[in-house]
Amino acid sequence: MIDFLNPILFGGLFAISAPIIIHLLHRRKVKRVDWGAMRFLLEMLAKRRRRLFLDELLLLLIRALVIAFIAFAMLRPALHRRNGGGNGTAISRQGRTAAVLLVDDSVSSMAGRAQPAFDAMKKLGVAYLESLAPGDEVSLLLMSQLGAPPSDPVFDIEGLKSYLLALKPSYVATDIPALVDPGLDQLKRHINPGAELVLVTDGRKDGWHEEDKVRWDGLRERLRGPKSAAVGTRQRPQVIALSPASVGFEENLAITAVGMDRTLVSAGRPGGIRVTVSNFGIQDGHEVTVQMTVNGEAAGSNKPIVVPAGGQQEAVFTYTFPEPGSYAVEALLLNHQDLLPADDRRAVSIQVESSLPVLLVDDVASPGLENKLGFLQDALNPETDHPGPFRVTRISLAQLTASILQDYRVVVLGDARVLEPSMVDALERFVVGGGGILVGLGPDTDRELVNRYWARNGEGFLPCPLAEAVTPAISPIPAAMNLGHPVFGGFGAKSDEAWKAAKVRSYFKLDTKKVKASDLDPLLTLDNGDLLVAERRRGLGLVTLIATSLNADWTDLPLQAAYVPLMRGIVGHLGSFIIPPRNLEPGGQIIYARVKDPVKGMRAEDPSGKPLKLSLAAWEGRDAIVSEPLMDPGVYVLHDPNQPKPIHYAVAVSAAESALAPISDREMSRNFEDGLSIFHSPEEAAASLYPDRRLSVELWKWFLLAALGLMFAEAWLTRRQTSLVFGRTVS
Amino acid sequence: MSLLQSVQQEVIERLGNLSITARQAVESVLAGQHRSVRRGLSVEFAGHREYQPGDDLRRLDWLVWARSDRYDIRQYEEETKLRAAIVLDTSGSMGYASGAQSKLEYARSLAAALGFLMIRQSDAVGLVTCDTAIREFLPPGSTMAHFLNVLAALEKVRPGGETSLSPVIDEIAERLTRRGLVILISDAFDDPEAFLKSIQHLRHRKQEVRLFQILDSQEQSFPFRGMIEFVGLEHEPPLKLDGDRIRAHYQGVFEQHQGRLRSGCHAAGVQLETCLTNEELFTVLIRALGLR
Repeated sequence: MIDFLNPILFGGLFAISAPIIIHLLHRRKVKRVDWGAMRFLLEMLAKRRRRLFLDELLLLLIRALVIAFIAFAMLRPALHRRNGGGNGTAISRQGRTAAVLLVDDSVSSMAGRAQPAFDAMKKLGVAYLESLAPGDEVSLLLMSQLGAPPSDPVFDIEGLKSYLLALKPSYVATDIPALVDPGLDQLKRHINPGAELVLVTDGRKDGWHEEDKVRWDGLRERLRGPKSAAVGTRQRPQVIALSPASVGFEENLAITAVGMDRTLVSAGRPGGIRVTVSNFGIQDGHEVTVQMTVNGEAAGSNKPIVVPAGGQQEAVFTYTFPEPGSYAVEALLLNHQDLLPADDRRAVSIQVESSLPVLLVDDVASPGLENKLGFLQDALNPETDHPGPFRVTRISLAQLTASILQDYRVVVLGDARVLEPSMVDALERFVVGGGGILVGLGPDTDRELVNRYWARNGEGFLPCPLAEAVTPAISPIPAAMNLGHPVFGGFGAKSDEAWKAAKVRSYFKLDTKKVKASDLDPLLTLDNGDLLVAERRRGLGLVTLIATSLNADWTDLPLQAAYVPLMRGIVGHLGSFIIPPRNLEPGGQIIYARVKDPVKGMRAEDPSGKPLKLSLAAWEGRDAIVSEPLMDPGVYVLHDPNQPKPIHYAVAVSAAESALAPISDREMSRNFEDGLSIFHSPEEAAASLYPDRRLSVELWKWFLLAALGLMFAEAWLTRRQTSLVFGRTVS
Repeated sequence: MSLLQSVQQEVIERLGNLSITARQAVESVLAGQHRSVRRGLSVEFAGHREYQPGDDLRRLDWLVWARSDRYDIRQYEEETKLRAAIVLDTSGSMGYASGAQSKLEYARSLAAALGFLMIRQSDAVGLVTCDTAIREFLPPGSTMAHFLNVLAALEKVRPGGETSLSPVIDEIAERLTRRGLVILISDAFDDPEAFLKSIQHLRHRKQEVRLFQILDSQEQSFPFRGMIEFVGLEHEPPLKLDGDRIRAHYQGVFEQHQGRLRSGCHAAGVQLETCLTNEELFTVLIRALGLR
């Protein structure tokens, strides 16, 4: 069968109509001549009318064919014949092969008892490469190098085998659809007609992200190609999975999270560092010891822990950070060996603040409980003489300027009547750049103005537009809260009790239709189902909207005990983000944006103490120091000569990588609509790949030769018909 | 400018006192230029021959009888006038003009010039205009008054009708009883076989024939490009043709026609002179009169 390797150029076939159109246009332009020697024309026509007509048709046909053949040549037609060899699982190779090897070198490929799964994957990859013939071209895409500029395919298969054998697994997370997608793009860089997409994977189920149907549907659509395309062509590549037998998943403990028990960590105050240990195995774990270090020094005594199969346990270490600054907290499992050692330790960077600068924008700047934000000020900072974790400044709306914002991490707008457009713009920039905004509403809120300028149909800084203000006959109370959210870290187990008397007499309904559901994070919902508190990420920052007043105008909430932890949680959460981030995944980079001048003497070290390469770059419109990608998990340290203490960055592997449960062949195949050939051993792969039985020929050169021949014929015919003998005299 | 004036300008000023020559002697005598084969009454003595019964006794040379007692008849060589008939083809195809003048206008000037030259040397000139039939017939005359009639007739001619010279030439051959010169001025766009046959007829009638074929240069080169609608001047159906594509074929047919005409004229002893309308008239005359 014939396949076209450049089907995108099919449109070129329309050029065939060019000679016909030119011919018709030519015929339409007729000049009239009174002619005396008609007898010769008539005599000529009597003899040659048929010949002339045929010649004209022939010429037209030749010209159209010349263009058609050139167009066909550019389409690169290839004639394939099935090799006919092998059993049912044999791969039918069609002509020279263009292979893209997609190697899942994620952290889970390190799992294994005697040898990591990655070694078996490499052997499979080498077996596949050995099935290729000279002239076949191969590209290699690694999970750890996704996002890197694409490289050209290579023909040096031996060199590629050596390179593959020398590879080591990385610490990045598995994302099979994210690997297949650029693999399909890479195929376009190949020129050989037979296309194979070879996925070398450890076969861990979680890494396939089967729940992400949108991405898989898109991939399947791309892989399906046109109906007429044969399997194994570049329009519809043959997909092969090389997946070694599972390394087992009976036992794997992992530290899946390390974090503080509160959103805002203050110096000098004891806080709880929570270490979450999960058992991804099928056997109950034995007792293991959790050790925690802060800046490399043991912090508190080690804690023994036993985690049942499929469960998780927390070990909480109480620790007081002596002074503000950046700390590296690292937890590790001692006296423990399992299938995947890479997830047995986890580091996190924690920024300890002396206090969080918060700007309260009230209608009138007055102390005490009066006005819109009096309750909030008291909740955040009850002892004005003794500042706590929040350094609160309360100003009037009239005092608010764009320049003042740069000194604060959180801005609170309490039932603000109106904001200047320039101020709205400044607030948008503030939140996009990493700041936090808390917006409270109330009787002074002008819904129209708020929707027009603050919400802008979901495009402004407000999480969502406002619907009408309501005052129900029976005042609702908060009923459901997002307990997993850090905002509610300060609530105890009996959190529902906290809201019983918190009646919300009036509030604005929130119009969430114009915002994607996934963008809006509902924190607190009333018992009538209406949203009371919602959060939305805008750029690098966060905005939280409370649908009622922050004072007692519309609600009894400020009079309840729950008000204080709620507000401190919200404000603390809004200000807790360190921008640029310091807790990174493998492959992330240190970005240090507090650079006023390119600083001499700034240096960074990796977990082993080796210096990192730093460069000056732009980040969010600001100068920043950026490091090379950080591939290994652990603590990285940046030294800024202008800062008294080093800044810590932590790289941790994805917790999802610890789930080693394998995907079945059936599931794997189903993801590719059963169009997947799976090999689990090099022998299996070698038996099914037939490098020496390819029967295929590209036809473009024949089309070009035919076009060339036709051009000569056209020239001869034209010359015959158009003898240029002007002025020749008859002697 | 009248035809006479233009002819005078063309012929007198540029050709001066050139005269027309004929290859064969004709009956008419003009100052020794045209020698007669008929011996008899004339002014120049040619010789004697023996008297035979039936001879005119007035031509008996009595002086020879007196001297030698022989009866000899005096013979004289007569100088004759050339009797020329100019046959002008006025068919529609003669009306074609790619330049300043049509073939008919050129032919008219040529006819007038030739006539003028012949009148100047006291030859008799007649005129026949024709297409499918004879439209005008002026018998040969040698006076200037006659020539003016010829010119007037030439002034009147207009192109029209189809080219069908053969029957016309046959008719002329019948009408010309005395030997003479027939000057055919035509594009000869006729069936060559029939045309040559008619010329043979003329030759059998002891007429010397000269054919001036008048062509337009475009009829030879066929320089038309692209789609052309050719509209015939002799009421042929119009033809839409691609000039580029048919050029070679047209030229082939045209050459074939010319070849047949040339070989036919040669075989019949007819001098063929092909003239292009963009040629100077005097150069044609010089070439035709054999002066170079």
